[in-house]
Formats: sequence, structure tokens, C-alpha cells
Amino acid sequence: MASEFVTLVSGDGFEFIIPRSTACVSGTIRRMLDSSSKFSEAVSGRCELENISGIVLEKVCEYFCYNEKNKDQTNVPDMDIPPELCLELLMAADYLDT
Amino acid sequence: MANRRQTRNQISGPHSALTDFLASNNISAAQIREDYERRLGEAEHQVADEDTSSSPENGKTEESVDDSSEQRKKRRRKETATLGKTNQSKEFARCKVRRKGKANDNDDLIARENLYQKSRSLPGQLDHCEICSKRFTVTPYSKTGPNGGLLCAKCSRSLEDDQKKYKTKKGGPRTGRRQNQSALLDGISQQGALSLVEMCTKKVADNINDVEEFGDLPSPLLHRLSQILSKRRVLTPRTLNLFLRPDLKSINIYDSAKLEMDDFQRIFTFMPSLTNVNLRFAGQLKDKVVKYLLERDLQIKSLQLDAANLVSDTYWRRLFEKLGPQLESLKLSNLDFSLDDETIEVMCRYCTELRRLKLKQCWKMGDGSLQALSSLASLQHLSLNIVRETDSESLLEVVSKLGPRLQTLSLEGFPNVDNILLETIHEKCRLLSKLRLSENAVCTDKGFARLFTDWSNPPLEFVDFSSTRDVDNSNPDGPGDAIGLASEGLIALMNHSGPAIRKLNISSCRHVSRSAFEEVFSIEKIYPNLKELDVSFHPIMDDFLVGRIFHCCPAIKKLVAFACFNVRDVRVPVGVALIGGLKAQSTIVVEGKY
Repeated sequence: MASEFVTLVSGDGFEFIIPRSTACVSGTIRRMLDSSSKFSEAVSGRCELENISGIVLEKVCEYFCYNEKNKDQTNVPDMDIPPELCLELLMAADYLDT
Repeated sequence: MANRRQTRNQISGPHSALTDFLASNNISAAQIREDYERRLGEAEHQVADEDTSSSPENGKTEESVDDSSEQRKKRRRKETATLGKTNQSKEFARCKVRRKGKANDNDDLIARENLYQKSRSLPGQLDHCEICSKRFTVTPYSKTGPNGGLLCAKCSRSLEDDQKKYKTKKGGPRTGRRQNQSALLDGISQQGALSLVEMCTKKVADNINDVEEFGDLPSPLLHRLSQILSKRRVLTPRTLNLFLRPDLKSINIYDSAKLEMDDFQRIFTFMPSLTNVNLRFAGQLKDKVVKYLLERDLQIKSLQLDAANLVSDTYWRRLFEKLGPQLESLKLSNLDFSLDDETIEVMCRYCTELRRLKLKQCWKMGDGSLQALSSLASLQHLSLNIVRETDSESLLEVVSKLGPRLQTLSLEGFPNVDNILLETIHEKCRLLSKLRLSENAVCTDKGFARLFTDWSNPPLEFVDFSSTRDVDNSNPDGPGDAIGLASEGLIALMNHSGPAIRKLNISSCRHVSRSAFEEVFSIEKIYPNLKELDVSFHPIMDDFLVGRIFHCCPAIKKLVAFACFNVRDVRVPVGVALIGGLKAQSTIVVEGKY
């Protein structure tokens, strides 16, 4: 049975272990992990995101949790994003479909 | 007198006004100076002492383990002596008063605390800064550092800055009521966080002046960024450069007001593969730019220009002659200087492949233009908003000729066309999914009802009949036979288009009765796709009806209800924006689903 946690691996080798439900905020990761797909990611519960650096992926994971936390709230304050990271993060977010 | 003589006999330097003043108040400047120098000397002495004795009292009362008992005894004796002295001093009394009320008011304890607290230097003395250990002169304004010592001017300033930063951060992320209301007016009543893409896009827009290039940001994101920047009115020649990439096929600038002629030329120079050009508020787009554009041989398929009033008719015609055959979509708006009937005729002659045409607020267009339009054989989407008064015959001809292929028909500014137009639409249009007829005061309710009864057109998705009503001020209830979309028309419309309708605007259709609304939004009716509904200026709309609307439209996201004075306390479902209403603040209250 699929584990409750999944591992996201950044291009420079950092691993982030986060709850499956939060990671599935991202459409890309959700489709990677879809158990009916038989992708290797779905089998191993491990997504290697080679084009995303550790720093950016950390922020992405922070967003996943932030999103999960604010799921049922309205007027959610924006997450704090360091300006120097926002372009890269934007590219990553676009890729991850979040 | 004696005083004066004295000064006359003495030889002294010049007196300052301050010295005179002090003297008159019986204060001697010399005395102050002496005191000051004494204090300085003392302080220096103290520092020297501390250095030589390698600072045994370094703030803390720690007693090292290997202290010999003799030394300890000696110190104890010294301590009691000083404690005895301090207990009697004025300073101590003041300190005690300050501490009054605290549980352990033991005199000795307080005195000991004071003794071992790093002796606080007085203003004018020299001290070492707690953070950077530099020597500085203590002033009354010197700040206390984190460990109780004093700070030099530089360190205290940086400490202050830190505190300020911390304070502003604390107040930052809270979204105020104003912002909530603003978002609500945009129809955003979203539950949960924004998407990461949206959040980052906003952040990029916030820091646009620090961005050097966008890299290979995909086109849809660029489009969104351009929208945000335009809305904030920061699309300048500098920011425009970020959008100019030769590989991109489209450019969308919603606010070109700050761009000048060479900026427009730059767009066409740097982006040779353009197929979609969308420039709004292009006030400085001149003939020369059009000329340059035509020389560049671009494969533009879709062109949207707004407020390009410096382009003359000659160049509009040249533009149509050159680009006409390849244009698939043309949208021109807010042109009051050129684009006359003759130019429109030229356009219709050359732009034979046009599928989408929108002409809004073009002041010079008249009947001649309308007649010319009916020759556009491949048109699928037509939007017209005409300023001049036109003959309804010409419009009827357009609709009857183009109707069979039209998917969109949007007509604004035809106040005098009558039911015959509705009949023509009923007869000719088979493929419509969007229909707008607003600001009309002639078409009757019966006409609307007939349009939607047994119409072979599939259900519409987008309907706007706003402001179709009688405008006779002396007779506010209108004539017996209702004018504009009223009860019968609305019922027929919803019966026809109910299953597919996504967006409905019936604001100011004043003659819809309550019973008609009750029938349309009765308990068994469901409009599964209706997302946006505008019922502004319907005085009969009330809490009950709004509740029914929420019930019948499970997908609704936005309900506009301006000037509906009976809408007071509605339970608004989660994720729905109710705009207008009397008590805008309180209706945000989000409660369970219906």
C-alpha cells in the first residue's frame, strides 16, 4: 500500500519527505504519484525533480504545507517569498502546476 | 556696579551669550567645566583600574571554584562594607522606590544587585560599547544594550533599525478589510491559499524594478505579469524590454500609455515572429509606427489596438491592405479621430479571412460601416458598440447576412432597434453561444419571449440583456406591455438556455416580477453551470430570492446585487462573492453550504 509520505529530491540531491496529501497540491506531482499510472515514482513514492534546486524545492515544500494549513480559511495572507527567489520559484511553480 | 568694575579689571576672553545667561542665573560655567573634567578624569582612572585588575567584576556574581577561602573572606568583608555604604545613599533609596511592590524587598539583596550590575556610566563619562567595545562618550540618549551595558551611537542606531524592521514585519502579512473588499469586488472570494504561481507572479511584479530579465518564462505567465503590471500602471519602456523576446509569438500590453513611438517600434524590431499584437491605451502609436510595422513583414494574425488616435485613415487603409488577407481577429476601440466609413469599407474588402471582429466606441463609424460589414463572409464573432445613431435597417442586414455563422453577437449602443432584430436573430442564428443586447429601450418582453421560444439555437452560455427597459421618468412602472427583458422573457430565456448558461447579466431589467424570479429559481430548478449572475437594480430582489439563487446555482461564484435594497442578511455560501448589497462587510460571513 502506498506510504503516507513521499520523498521529493532536488536536482542537487536534497531530499524532502512530506505528507502525500500536501505534495498532491501540485498537479505534476499528483500525476507522477498516481497509483494507476505505474510510473516508477508512483511505485517508489520518490520524485526526482532534476530541474529544481534545493533552495527552491524547500520553498515549494513550505508552500505545500502552507496550502494545507490554510485549506479551509478565507483571506489567507500571502506566504513570504524572498524576492531573489521569486523568478526561479515561479518557473518551478509553473512546472509543478501549483 | 562693583560687578562691572570687576570685569573691567579682569582680562578675560570673550564671553558667550550662554555664559552670560548662566551667570545671571547664578550658575558658573567654569564650575560646570571643572566638574566635567573631574568626571572625565575619574572615568579614565576607573577604566585604567579595571584594566589592571583584569576585571574581576565582569557583570556576573560567579565565584570560581578555585578561589581560596581567604580571598573569599576578604571579598565578603569588602562587600558588606560597600553594602552598608550604599544602603544609606540617595541613589539606593530611589532604586528601592522603583522596586516597591516586588515580593522580596530585602535591602541587602537590592543593594547587592546594584553593586554587581555593571556600574552605569553617567552622561559625559567615557564607556566601552557593549557590542563593538569601542570607547565612546556617554550621553543622556545612549541606549542600553541587551546585557544591560551602554551602547555607542552607531550600535544603538543599528539596534533601533532592527527593532523597526521587526515591527513592520509583524504588521505586514495581515490582509485588511479594505483589501478583502477590493478582492470581493473583483469577484474573488476564494477559499484557501492562492496558487503558488499566482503568488510568485505577484511577487515578481512587486519587485519588477530589480528584475533584469525574465529568462525563458513561458508565454502565459508573461501575459499574466503584463496584466498585473498594467493594472499597477508600471509598464514603462524599461519594463517593456523584459517582454521583448524574439521567440515569442504574442505581445499583450494592457497599458501602453507610457510607451512612446520608438518603444512601439522596438516591439516590432525585436519580435519578428509576432502573430498576436494587443496594445491598449496606445495613445502614442503614430503613423510612423504603422509604416514601420508594415515594412517589417510580420505575420500578424490577430491585432488589437486601443485608443490609437494618432493613426490617420490613410495608414489604417494601408494597414488593412497589407495585413488584411492574413488577419483573423481584429479589435479596435476608442478611436475618435479616424476610422471612418470609407476605411471600414477598405477593411471589409481586404480582411476577408476575419473570424473575429470587435469595434467599440469608434466615433466615426456610421451606417456606411454597418452596410460594409455584412460582406465579411467568414465572421464568427461580432461585437459592435456604436456611438453614432444608425439606421436599424443596416444592422438587420448585418445580422441576417452574418447570423447563420455567428457564435458571438454583441450589440451595444443600438437604442432604437426593435423586435424585428430579435425575430431576425431567432430566424437566422443557429450557432450562437454568446448574445448581448444592452441599452435598448424599444424591444419588448414579448419579443424576448418569442426569441427564446422554439429557437433552434442550442442553449446560450453567455447572455447579457442589461439595461433593456423603458426609460420614461414620468412612468416608472413602464407601460402595460413591458419593455425590455421582463417576466416572460426571463422565464423563456432560462427555459431555453438554463442547462448551459454560465454568465447572465440582467441588471436594470426593471420589470421582472417577483413571481417570475420565484418561478425561474424555484426549488426543483438547477442551473449547473451558472457562475456569474448580475441582478443589480432589481428592487424586488430580497434575501429569500438570493437564497433561492444560491440554491439553484450550485456553481455560482459571483452574484452582483447593487441597489437591491431588500438584500440584507444573506447567508453567503463558501467561495461565493456577493457584491453590492447594503451591508457589504457583514455579508462576507461565510457559512455552510446550502
